Amino acid sequence: MAPRPAAAQSTLAVAVKATDLYKFAAFVEWPPSAFSGPADPAVLCVAGDDPFGPVLDQAVRGQKIGGHPIVVTRLDHVDRGAPCNILFAAPSRRQSPADALDMVRGQPVLTVTDEAGDPNARGMIDFVLREGRVRFRIDPRLAERSGLLISSKLLSLAVKP
Amino acid sequence: MMRVRPPGDRRPARGLRAVSMAAAMIAAVLLVAAGLAVAGYNEGLFRAQAAREAQVQADILAASLTAALAFDDTDAAQQYLGALRANPEVEAAGLYGPAGALRSSYRRDPSQTLPVRAPAGAPASAQGQLVVTAPVVQAGVRLGSVYLRVQAEPAQRRLLRYAAIGLLGVMASLVAVVLGAANAAQRRANRALAEANQALHHQIEQRERAEEALRQSQKMEAMGQLTGGVAHDFNNLLMVASSGLDLLDRTQDPERRAALRQGVRQALDRGAGLTRQLLAFSRRSPLKSEVVDLGQRIEGMRLLLERSLREDIAVRFDIQPDLWAAELDPTQLEVAVLNIAVNARDAMPAGGVIVLAARNRPDFSIDGEEGDFVELSVTDTGEGMAAETVRRVFEPFFTTKPVGKGTGLGLSQVYGFCRASGGAARVTSAPGQGTSISLYFPASTKPLTQTPAPAPAPAAPPPGTVLLVEDDDAVAAAVSAMLAELGYRVVRASDATSALAVLDRGGAPIDLVFSDMVMPGAMDGAALAELVLERRPDLPVVLTTGFSEAAEAASRKGLKLLPKPYRIEELAAELAAARTAKKGS
Repeated sequence: MAPRPAAAQSTLAVAVKATDLYKFAAFVEWPPSAFSGPADPAVLCVAGDDPFGPVLDQAVRGQKIGGHPIVVTRLDHVDRGAPCNILFAAPSRRQSPADALDMVRGQPVLTVTDEAGDPNARGMIDFVLREGRVRFRIDPRLAERSGLLISSKLLSLAVKP
Repeated sequence: MMRVRPPGDRRPARGLRAVSMAAAMIAAVLLVAAGLAVAGYNEGLFRAQAAREAQVQADILAASLTAALAFDDTDAAQQYLGALRANPEVEAAGLYGPAGALRSSYRRDPSQTLPVRAPAGAPASAQGQLVVTAPVVQAGVRLGSVYLRVQAEPAQRRLLRYAAIGLLGVMASLVAVVLGAANAAQRRANRALAEANQALHHQIEQRERAEEALRQSQKMEAMGQLTGGVAHDFNNLLMVASSGLDLLDRTQDPERRAALRQGVRQALDRGAGLTRQLLAFSRRSPLKSEVVDLGQRIEGMRLLLERSLREDIAVRFDIQPDLWAAELDPTQLEVAVLNIAVNARDAMPAGGVIVLAARNRPDFSIDGEEGDFVELSVTDTGEGMAAETVRRVFEPFFTTKPVGKGTGLGLSQVYGFCRASGGAARVTSAPGQGTSISLYFPASTKPLTQTPAPAPAPAAPPPGTVLLVEDDDAVAAAVSAMLAELGYRVVRASDATSALAVLDRGGAPIDLVFSDMVMPGAMDGAALAELVLERRPDLPVVLTTGFSEAAEAASRKGLKLLPKPYRIEELAAELAAARTAKKGS
């Protein structure tokens, strides 16, 4: 197995993160209210400046979350009640990740951030670099407050915050 | 007899043992079979269980490796796989990606190998190894697979189990062998026992033959003594009778003739008594029990005793007043007392005293009999007897008198009579101290038997015609004379057939048939009596015989019988009674 690329090799790191983003979904349980029907798409929102580009679209192509086909939506600004199941909040001039996260606080939305220094601007899952490899830390209490259940399998892979 | 089972009796027991032996063998075989079956069943169960366990382990491994596989976390995957080291049965494990490429692996030792590509298919077991695979699935998405290879069973555990089964089999066979050995030993013991038993039987038979021979010789000796004694007694009686008759012809002196007649009569009476004694001894003379006052009976014998004994012997009576009654045959009683008295007389050659005493013995116990008894004892002042003689005094044919002097029957008659009456007899004696013989009879509460008064002569019908059936001419002549003397007319027939002919001819009217019982020809007296009863129910029949067996048979059939010898008075009374009974009925 090849070692995961370092952050410096930004392209590879971005690709890994793009893949991880939808893979998280398999280890998360949404409350039934998150989807209105079995055929509803699972919406993966990317807020702020999109670091992935077409890599993300290629990674999620044909993938499903519990039978729901994954749809990628890019948002300049996250409003309260935005129709996201997963929200990747990237920094931008238009809206800070903390503000974007505030918009969906309490909603059944899996929030993901990347290298958030400020704990208040940190999503339920936050990508970090450890020993040159892409890892992630998880705040399960935050997820619980939004009605999400994160599998212990995923928790076991997370690094300490 | 010996309590030894004849050889044939062992068969069922031996059969039983053979069956139990076979049962034991079958049980042993069944035990082994059951052990093997249980072992086989357990083996199957164990394999299935092992396969399930391996599968569960693979499933758990797959579940815990899900995230590591999803996020390509080699460290985490290696950590999980390394944890398998805690289970010594796991030989190797592999984690394969969605395309089937090996991502991470675990080997118990370096010699183990893993398939490079993810294997597919059901669990397989080979060479004691069990191989299972499990898909790694998360949220319905197949992420890859897990390969797990475990030892199907540790070698030592399998060995242990087979050793246990083997031990079971060995023990079962051991049980069968021990049972077989025990059985064989028992059979040998039985054979030895059977042989010993046979030998014992042989010896018993030999002994019985020897005893039989001894008894026979003893009997012959007794017969010799008896014959001698009886012949001597009879010769004496015949001598008296013969000389008496001779002298009767030679004298005309009425007083002397009367004395001679009485002498002849006494001799004949004693002869009759002697034969009665013989019959009583042979137990063929049935007891004619009556309830009697012993005291009265003994007193009544005073004259008889004084006549039988010598002048130098005094007879005294000591009878308790209010003596209880006893049920016994008075004739036998008299014979017994006479026997004892005669013995006492012979024991007192120089004279002495005989005391006859009678008294009540309440709540007495003797020879296993208990209750109220009446004791009659005859005590003499004679020479007494030694202990050895006392011991044997009641034995038949035992006598201390020389051959020709005694029959040895007297005291045995006494003993037999007492036992037959439900009582007992005892002897007390010592040399020089005299002898006392005591007879014990159970006391009776029944009223005394009234001695029937002789039938009044006028009531007897007038004599008529008697058909006398008798084969012996001498007896026939004597009886004819007696009948004629009694006023009867006599028609004689010499056997039953001619008697019937006389009756059928219907010549002179016959009033009574008087027939001997034992006669030559096809028909005896009893058969004749029955035929006569059939044809002429009104015709009285009286039988007579000197044979005790024939007399018993007649008594059983309810026929009238007059035992020989009889006196003319007895003949008259019996015939008159028979005719009166017929008339009355």
